[in-house]
Amino acid sequence: MAEFSWIARSPLEKALVVGGYGARGTTAGVSLTEIRNFDLIQVMARRGKAAELAKAAETRFGVTAPNAPNAVRVPDATLIWSGPDQFLVLSKGGIHAMEKLSQAFSQSASLSDQSHARALISVSGGKARSMLAKLSSLDLHPAAFPAGTAAATAVDHTSINLWRGSDRPDGQAVFNLLVFATFAESLWHTMLDAAAEYSVEISHSEALA
Amino acid sequence: MRIVCPFCGERELGEFTYLGDAKSARPAAGASEDEVFDYVYMRDNVAGPMSEYWYHGGGCRAWLKVARNTLTHEISSVEPAAGVGAKQAAR
Amino acid sequence: MTSSQPYRLVSGGLIDRAAPLGFRFDGKSFAGFQGDTLASALIANGVKLVGRSFKYHRPRGILTAGSEEPNALVELRSGARREPNTKATTAELYDGLEAASQNRWPSLRHDLMAVNQLFAPIFVAGFYYKTFMWPARFWEAVYEPAIRRAAGLGRAAGVADPDHYDKAWAHCDVLIAGSGPAGLAAALAAGRGGARVILCEEDFALGGRLLADGGMIDGAPAAEWITRTLAELAALPDVRIMTRTTLFGVYDGGTYGALERVNDHLLSPPEHQVRQRLWRIVAKRCVVAAGAIERPIVFAGNDTPGVMMASAMRTYVARYAVTPAKRIALFTNNEDGWRTVETALGAGLQIAAVIDARPDVSAERRALAAKAGFAVLNGSVSGVEGGKDGVRKIAVSLTGGARAEVEADGLAVSGGWNPAVGLTSYHRGRPKWQDDIAAFVPDGAPPGMVAVGAANGAFGLGDCLRQGFAAGAAAAQSAGRSGNAGTSPTADEEAFSLTPLWHVAGKGKAFVDYQHDVTASDIELAQREGFESVEHLKRYTTLGMATDQGKTSNVAGLAIMAALSGKSIPETGTTIYRPPYVPVAIGAFAGHHRDENFHATRLTPSHHWAAEQGAVFVDTGLWKRAQWYPRAGEKDWLESVTREVKAVRSGVGFCDVSTLGKIDVHGPDAGAFLDRVYINTFSNLAVGKARYGLMLREDGIVYDDGTTSRLAEDHYFLTTTTAKAGLVMQHLEFCRQVLFPEFDVQLTSVSDQWAQFSIAGPSARELLKQVVDESEDLSNEGFPFMGAREVALHGGIRARLFRISFSGEMAFEISVPARYGDALVRNLMLAGKPFGVTPYGTEALGVMRIEKGHVAGPELNGTTTAADLGLGKMMSTKKDFIGRVMAGREALVAPDRQVVVGIKPVDKTRRLRSGAHIIPKGETPGPDNDQGYVTSVCFSPVLDQWIGLGLVERGRERIGEIVHAHDPLRGEDYDVELCSPVFYDPDGGRQRG
Repeated sequence: MAEFSWIARSPLEKALVVGGYGARGTTAGVSLTEIRNFDLIQVMARRGKAAELAKAAETRFGVTAPNAPNAVRVPDATLIWSGPDQFLVLSKGGIHAMEKLSQAFSQSASLSDQSHARALISVSGGKARSMLAKLSSLDLHPAAFPAGTAAATAVDHTSINLWRGSDRPDGQAVFNLLVFATFAESLWHTMLDAAAEYSVEISHSEALA
Repeated sequence: MRIVCPFCGERELGEFTYLGDAKSARPAAGASEDEVFDYVYMRDNVAGPMSEYWYHGGGCRAWLKVARNTLTHEISSVEPAAGVGAKQAAR
Repeated sequence: MTSSQPYRLVSGGLIDRAAPLGFRFDGKSFAGFQGDTLASALIANGVKLVGRSFKYHRPRGILTAGSEEPNALVELRSGARREPNTKATTAELYDGLEAASQNRWPSLRHDLMAVNQLFAPIFVAGFYYKTFMWPARFWEAVYEPAIRRAAGLGRAAGVADPDHYDKAWAHCDVLIAGSGPAGLAAALAAGRGGARVILCEEDFALGGRLLADGGMIDGAPAAEWITRTLAELAALPDVRIMTRTTLFGVYDGGTYGALERVNDHLLSPPEHQVRQRLWRIVAKRCVVAAGAIERPIVFAGNDTPGVMMASAMRTYVARYAVTPAKRIALFTNNEDGWRTVETALGAGLQIAAVIDARPDVSAERRALAAKAGFAVLNGSVSGVEGGKDGVRKIAVSLTGGARAEVEADGLAVSGGWNPAVGLTSYHRGRPKWQDDIAAFVPDGAPPGMVAVGAANGAFGLGDCLRQGFAAGAAAAQSAGRSGNAGTSPTADEEAFSLTPLWHVAGKGKAFVDYQHDVTASDIELAQREGFESVEHLKRYTTLGMATDQGKTSNVAGLAIMAALSGKSIPETGTTIYRPPYVPVAIGAFAGHHRDENFHATRLTPSHHWAAEQGAVFVDTGLWKRAQWYPRAGEKDWLESVTREVKAVRSGVGFCDVSTLGKIDVHGPDAGAFLDRVYINTFSNLAVGKARYGLMLREDGIVYDDGTTSRLAEDHYFLTTTTAKAGLVMQHLEFCRQVLFPEFDVQLTSVSDQWAQFSIAGPSARELLKQVVDESEDLSNEGFPFMGAREVALHGGIRARLFRISFSGEMAFEISVPARYGDALVRNLMLAGKPFGVTPYGTEALGVMRIEKGHVAGPELNGTTTAADLGLGKMMSTKKDFIGRVMAGREALVAPDRQVVVGIKPVDKTRRLRSGAHIIPKGETPGPDNDQGYVTSVCFSPVLDQWIGLGLVERGRERIGEIVHAHDPLRGEDYDVELCSPVFYDPDGGRQRG
C-alpha cells in the first residue's frame, strides 16, 4: 500500500511569496498576512430560534453573538456577523470545530463547515485604507468603520466577509478578509496590484490575530 | 444607485441583483393555468413608484422588497422579504 | 534648448523659470517651463497654428486656456502611448513631451485636405444625410470606408496601452467641484464645520480664475488668500484636496464620477503607479463651484489663429507670462472683457483697440483708453483678415453703420459667460435663463447638490466667496456636522454689465462650433429645412457633438436659432446634458480589469497539480478547468482526449469536478423544500442515498440539474451545474425567503469547502480501496449505485463518497475538505499507478457524457422542457413544484416538439458538427422544413466514429430514420441517422457494477 501524505495546502500557497513586493526604497505601506489552517463554522438560526441561538451562543462563548454587522472577540474565537440571524465562528485547533459546535447548537441552528471554503487575509499598514479603497466600495474611515465592525460585502465581484480587528500595537488598523478559496489567488493578485505602489510586506501565519 | 440594506446599511448597486415586480404572489398549488400564466408573464410597466425584489447577493444574501420610483430612481423604502433569516412565517 | 521663448515675459506668472523643460511639437524642439501647459509653451515660442479643423481643414490656433478647448487638439506622446484629441490647453508640460498636430497632410502648414474648403458648399449641415442615400450597395463598399478615412481627428495608438489604470472609492460628507474662490470658501466652511470634505480641481494649480484675475480678498491679494486658505485646509483632519481631478458625472444616490490624472504630467508613470484613476465618490452633499465658460461671438473669420477668448488671453499673460500677441484688440459685449485690457497693459503689451458692443462704455474705461492711447470703438467685429500665420487686420462695423479697420495680431473676444451647468443638469435637469447675464443658470440640481458662484451665475468675487462659504457651511450641517464655520471671506462687489450679442453678420465663414466646423449658415440652413428643435438642430448640424460637447458653442447655436425662428432663447431651450463632462478614457473605466484581470478567476483545488502535469486549461465561466492532459508524442487534442476516454473505459481515471455548485440544505423542512424546487421528490430519499434532480423555471422550462444526496434527516447536499452555481443559490434563497418562507430550511454555499473528484472506470473501486480506510465497505452491497456517505481515508482524513456516474462507468465522486484536494490527487496518482490511473479533463468528460446520452448545457439551453430531454416521467404528479403548471401548457407538451435524440453520420468517416440543421431527407433546406439541430458532438472512441446529440422534431419516434444534416455556415451537407441518445451500455450494467 502506498504511503499517503495529507498535507493541507492553502489556496494561496503558490501565489504568496513571503517578502517585499512593489515600490522599493520606502517602508511598506501595506502588510498582507495570510492566516492559514483555521476552523470556520457558519451558524444559522433555524426558523423562530434566533433567541434560542443567542442564548446557546452566550452559554458557549460567554458573550452575546453579533446580531448586527460586528465582529466579537473572545479569547479563543471571533464571532463574525454574516447576515440576518447568522454568524461565523472563527477559531483554531478544533476548539470550536464542527463536531463541538453542532452539539452546542443542535436545537437552535444549522451549521455548515466553511473551514476550507475560505482564505483569510489580514491587511494593515499606513496605506491599508488607500489600498482597500481600490477594492471595496465600503467607507472604511475610522469613524465610519471602527474596530469591531464587520461587513458582508463584495470585492472584484467576489463575496467576502470583512471585519476590523483590534489595532496593531503601533495603532494601525487591521482589516481581515475572508474570501472564497477558489477566488483567493485571483483576489490576491488584485490586492498586490492595488498595493504595489505603496510597497508591500507579505507574510503568512498560523496564528489568528 | 445605492440601496440601504436593512441588515448591512447603505451599499452600492453592484452588490445587488434585480429581479422585478414584487407585487404578485405565487399562486397556491390549486391555481388555474390562467392564474399561473398571469403570475409568470403579466407585468405592469410602471412609470413611477414600483415595488421590486432585489437580492443582496454581494452582501448578506437577503431578498429585499424595494419601493423605487422608476422615473427618478428614488427609493422610498426597503424591507426584508417575509422569510429572511430565521423569521418565522405562518405555515 | 533650441528656442529662446520669444513670447515669454521676463517676469511674473506662476511658472518656474528655474525649471526649464524641453518638448517637441510636430518634430520641432522647443522649450518651456515647469508650470506651463503645452498651449502656453507653444505660445511662448510663437506657435500660433496648432491644428486643422475637422471638415474644412482650416488653420486653427488656441482659443481657450481650459478644458473647453475646441481647436488646440493634438496627439500627445508617441508609440503605444499616443493619445489623440488631447487638449493642449490642459496638457501639462513635462520634459521630453512630444506632441503632433492632427488632421493634416502632409504637414500642418501645407495641408492638401484644405481643398475641402473649396468644396465647402457640399459639406453643409445634413451633408451625410443628403449625400450618401443611394445606391444602397455603395454604403459598405464606397461611402463608409471613405467617410471613416476622412472622419475623426487624431489617430489612436493602434496597439495596447502599456500603462495601468485603476478605480477607487471615496466617501465624504461634502464634495466640492472646483477650487476657485467659491470652491475654496465652501471647503473652508465645510471643513471648519467638521465635515469630511473632498475638493476636486481639474487643473494642477488651485485657485480657479483667481490664478489669472487676482483681486483682493479680506484685504489681501488673492494669491495670499489662496496660500493661507490651503494651509488652513491642510491642517483640517478630513479635508482632501484632489488636483488634476475632474468631477465628470453625478449618478443616483449621491455617487459621483471623477477622473484623476495621476501621472499624465510625466513622461511615463513611475513603476507600480497608474496613469489615471477613476474615482467613485459617495457624498452626502455636493457643492458645484465649477465656474463659468466664456463664450465666443460668432463673426466671419472668428476661427483665425490669434482670435482667442478674452479670459484665456489674460490667463496666458498673467498665469503663464506669455504673450499670445504683440498688439491686441478686444471685442467684448460686457464689462469683464476689459480685464484683459488691464492685464495686457500691466504686462506692457500694446492694445490696438477695444470694440465694445455695448451702447455705453463707462467714463473710467474711456479714460483708461485715452491714457493708454487706444481707441474704443462702439460696434462689432464683422470680419478678420489673416490666415495660418494669424490675425492681421480686423474689420469693424460701427454702431450707426460706418466701417473701421484695426490692425492687430491678436483678437480677444468676450461674449459673456455661461455657467458650467453640466453637473447640475445631468439628471435631466433643464437650466433656466437669467436675463441680466444672458445665460442659462442651474434650475435645481440632483438631490444633495447645489451650485454656487459663477456656476450659479454669480460672477462677482464677493458673491462667489459668500455663496461658496454659505453652501459649504450648510452642506456640513445637513450632513450632521455641527462645528463652527466662522465667518466668510469677503471681497468688494463688482458690477457685471452685458449687452447680449451672439452673431455678427458678415462675409465669410462664421463658426459656432469650432471643433465640428458648424457655421452660422449651417444653423440657418437647418432652420430653413425645418430642423428647429434644439435636439434636431444638434443632430442635423452635429452642433455640440464633438469631444468638447459644445462647451463654447451650444448656447450661441441655440441663440442664433432662437433669433431665426422668432422665439426667445428660453423658449428654444437647451439639449439634454449628459456625462461625462470631459472625455474619459475607456482604460480608466476598465481600470484594473483588463487582460488576465478582465474578470476574477477561480481555480480548482487541483489546479496547480494539473498545471504541473502540463494540462491545457479552458475558461468555463470564471473557472480555469483542465481540458485535457497532453502527453509527449500526441499530435493533437483529439488523440489526448481519445486516450483519456479509453483509459477510463478500460481502467480508471479521475477528473476534478469541484466546479459544480454545492449547497448545504439544512433544516427540518429541507426535504419538503426540495420537493418544491425539483420536479421529482426528495423528501422520500433515504439517508445515505443520492438522486438525480431536475429544476424548472416557473415558466416550465428546464433550469438546472444535478445530484442531491441526503446526508442526514435534516441535511441534504445539493449539487448544481458549474454554469448555474451562483444563480441556483440565488434562486433557492428566493424560494426560501420569498416563495416558501414557511419552511424551516437553511442554505449555505459549500462549493469552495469541498474538493470533489470523479473516479471512474472498471477499476475505480480497486483504486478507491487503496485510498479509503480498510474498514469501509465499498462492495456493491455495502455501497450500491447512488449511495452517499461519509468515509474515512487512510491517514485520518474524513471524506464524502457518492456512487454516481456521469460517464456510464462504475464511478464514484469523492469529496475532501478543499485544502486536502491537492494531496488527494497526488495520492490518487500514487495509489493508481498499478491501475494505470489517468487524469482526464473536461473534453473526455464531455465525450463520455455524450456517449452515455446525458444532457448538459447545450441541451439545457433555456428552451427545452423535461419531456424534451426525455425526463418527462420524472415530473411528480403528487406535489406542487416550481414550473409544474406552466410545463403543462399546450405548446410545451405538443407532440411535434424538438426532443433529444442521438445522431450519427451515415458515412462513418464523416465528422459531425454542432449547429448543423436537421432536414427531412430529399427536401430542400429552408426554414419551413427545418426540424431541429445538432447540439453536442464528439468523436466516440467506443464507436470509432463521430456521434452527437440533437434536438429533433418528434425525434424519439423516428429512431432509425435517415435525415439530412445541413450546415450552411461551414458549407456541409450530409446524411445522418437518428438513433437512441444512449450510445454506450444502454442497460446501464457498467455503472451499477
